[in-house]
Amino acid sequence: MENFMELLLQPLRDFGITILQFVPNLLAMLIIFIAGFLFSRLIKLLFLRIFRIINLDIWCDKAGLTAIIRKGDVWSKPSDVFGGIIYWFLIILFLVIGLSALRLPTIDNLIAQFFLYIPRAFSALVILIAGYVFAGFISRAVLITAVNSGYHYAKILAEAVRLLLIVLILAMSLEQLQIAPGIVIAAFSIVFGGIILALAIAFGIGGIDAAKRIINAGEPEQPEQPKQNNEKKNDKEREAEYL
Amino acid sequence: MADFYQNDLIITLHRLGNPGLERIESELMEFTRQRPVALVLPALVTEFEGEAIKGIVAELKKVRYLREIILSLGRANDKEFQYVREFMSQLPCEVKVIHNEGKRIKEIYATLERNNVWPGEDGKGRSAWISYGYVIANAQSDVIALHDCDIVTYNRGMLARLCYPVANPNIDVVFCKGFYSRITDKMHGRVTRLLITPLIRALQKIVGPNPFLMFMDSFRYPLAGEFAMITDMARTNRIPWDWGLEVGVLSEVFRNYSTRRVCQVDIADNYEHKHQLLSADDAQKGLMRMSVDICKSIFRFLAAEGIVLSDSFFKSLQVAYIRLAEDTMVKYEADAAINGLKFDRHAEASAAEAFSNAIKIASDTYSENPMAAPLIPNWNRVTSAIPGILDMLKKAVDEDNR
Repeated sequence: MENFMELLLQPLRDFGITILQFVPNLLAMLIIFIAGFLFSRLIKLLFLRIFRIINLDIWCDKAGLTAIIRKGDVWSKPSDVFGGIIYWFLIILFLVIGLSALRLPTIDNLIAQFFLYIPRAFSALVILIAGYVFAGFISRAVLITAVNSGYHYAKILAEAVRLLLIVLILAMSLEQLQIAPGIVIAAFSIVFGGIILALAIAFGIGGIDAAKRIINAGEPEQPEQPKQNNEKKNDKEREAEYL
Repeated sequence: MADFYQNDLIITLHRLGNPGLERIESELMEFTRQRPVALVLPALVTEFEGEAIKGIVAELKKVRYLREIILSLGRANDKEFQYVREFMSQLPCEVKVIHNEGKRIKEIYATLERNNVWPGEDGKGRSAWISYGYVIANAQSDVIALHDCDIVTYNRGMLARLCYPVANPNIDVVFCKGFYSRITDKMHGRVTRLLITPLIRALQKIVGPNPFLMFMDSFRYPLAGEFAMITDMARTNRIPWDWGLEVGVLSEVFRNYSTRRVCQVDIADNYEHKHQLLSADDAQKGLMRMSVDICKSIFRFLAAEGIVLSDSFFKSLQVAYIRLAEDTMVKYEADAAINGLKFDRHAEASAAEAFSNAIKIASDTYSENPMAAPLIPNWNRVTSAIPGILDMLKKAVDEDNR
C-alpha cells in the first residue's frame, strides 16, 4: 500500500520540484520582458530625438525615401517609421532573450536559428534599399538618354528598365532570406529569360532590316560582277512577262 | 453683352448673336483629344448642404469633353468625405476628391512645412493649389479650368465658354478669365465695382501709365473666380492663400506670360452666388477682410515692380480713391436707373467708405512688413525642394479615393 501511495505521490513531487525549478526561470522571463519593453521605449525615444536633431525626416524627403515609404501606404513621418522598426526589433529581441530564460531545448533551438537569420535579414534589407536607389538612378539615366536621343517612348522604356531591375533586386533579396530559394531562382530565371527572349525576338523581327544594313555595312565591298548576263536574263524575263 | 469692344492689352471674347452651346461642345470634343481638360472644384463640405452644388452636378453630368474632375474638399470628416465621393460618382468622367482633412493629405502638408514650403492656411487658394499639384502628378490634362461650387445660376455653357479659348489650338491663349454681370433687382459685386476699379484707376493717376495697372484695368470682372489655363501655368505661377487669390493669380499671369496670350470671356448673362456681408466694423471678416487682402496684394506687386510706396503715396491714394469711387457711384446710379434696378446710394457710399478704410488698413499692414507675401510657392519650386512630393500626392489622393 505504501508503495502504491509512493507511486501516486512521486510524480506530484517531481512536478512540484519541476515547477519550483521553473518558477525562477518564468520570473526571469517576465522581468526580461518588462525591462525589455521599458528599454525599447527608452531607446525609441532616444532615437526619435536623434532623428529630430539630425533632421532625418527632411533628409528622407529629399532623398526620396519618404516617397518609397508612402508607396506602401504608410503615412507616418519617416522618423516615426524608423523609430517603430527599432522599437519592434528590440521588443522581438527581448522576447527571444526572455524565452531563452525558460531554458527549454526547443525554444533554445528556435532562438539559435533566429540569431543566425538576423545577418541574412540585414543583408536582404541592404540589397533592397541599395537596389532601389540604383534602379532609380539607372532608370533616370535611361530616361535622359532616350529623351535626348528623341526616342518617343522614353518614359515607358525607363519604367521598363526600372521594373526589370526591381524584379532582379526582389529575387536577390528573397534568395538572401532563403524564402523558397529554388522556386525564386527558377521563377526569376523563367521570367527574366522570357523577357530577354521576347525582346530578342521582337528586335529580330522588328529590326531585321536594320540588322541587315549593319551586317552589310561591316562587309568588304564585293568586286563588281559582270552585269551582262544578269542584264540579258532580266531582258529575257521582261520579254517573257510582256508576252 | 451687346458690344464688341476690344481693349488694348488682352483679348475680350464677347457673347455675340447665338453662339450655340452644342457647336461649342462638339468642337471641344475635338480639341480636348489634343488638349485634355481637367476641372478643378474647390469646395467646403457645407456647400453640399445647399442647392447650388446639386445644380452644378446635374449640369456636369451632361458634359462629355472633360478628362477628369478634381474636387478639393475642405473641412470635412471621413464620413462626410465618403458622402461627397458617392455624390460625385454620378458624373460620367473620372472624379477624384481631395480630402484636405484626411490623414494622408495632412501628412502631405506636414511634409511641405518641415521642408520650409509653406502651403498656406486652409482656404480656396490652398485647395486650388493642391488640386493643380494632383493634375500635374496625374499627367492626364493639358488644360485646367476652375470654378466655385456655390454658383446658383450655373449652366454647362459657362464651362464650355471658359474652356474653349484655351483648349482651341488655333487660339493662342494660355489664360482665360470669365466675366459676367451680377444683378438681381439691384447690382451686386460691390468689391469689384467700388473698390478694385476705382483703386486701380486712382493708382494709375498717382503712378502714371503702368503696364500692370493697365493690365488689371483691362479685366471686366477681375474678381471672377472662374478661369481656365494651360497646365504648365500651374507649375510656374504662385498662388496667394488669402483673399487676394484672384488678384494674385492675375499678377502672376502678368509677370510670367505675354498679355497678348491672355483673354477674358463672357460666360453668362447673369451670375448669382453666395453673398457676403460687408462687416465694415471688423477687418477680419466678410468683404472687409477680402478688401484688405486684395489691396495688400496689389501694393506688394507694385512694390515688386519698383514703385516706391511711401506714407505720402498712401495718403494721396486714399483721397484719389474716394473721389473716383464717388464718380463711379454716379455712373452706376445712372446705369441702374436706365435698367430699372434699385440703387441704394447711401449703402453704396457706406461701402466706399468702408473700402477706403480697408485701403488704410492694408497700407498700414504693408508698411509694417512689406515682405510678408502670402504666396504658396509654385510647383516647380516644391518639386525641387521635395523631389517625390508629386508621387506622394498622387498616392494620397488615389488611396483616399480607392
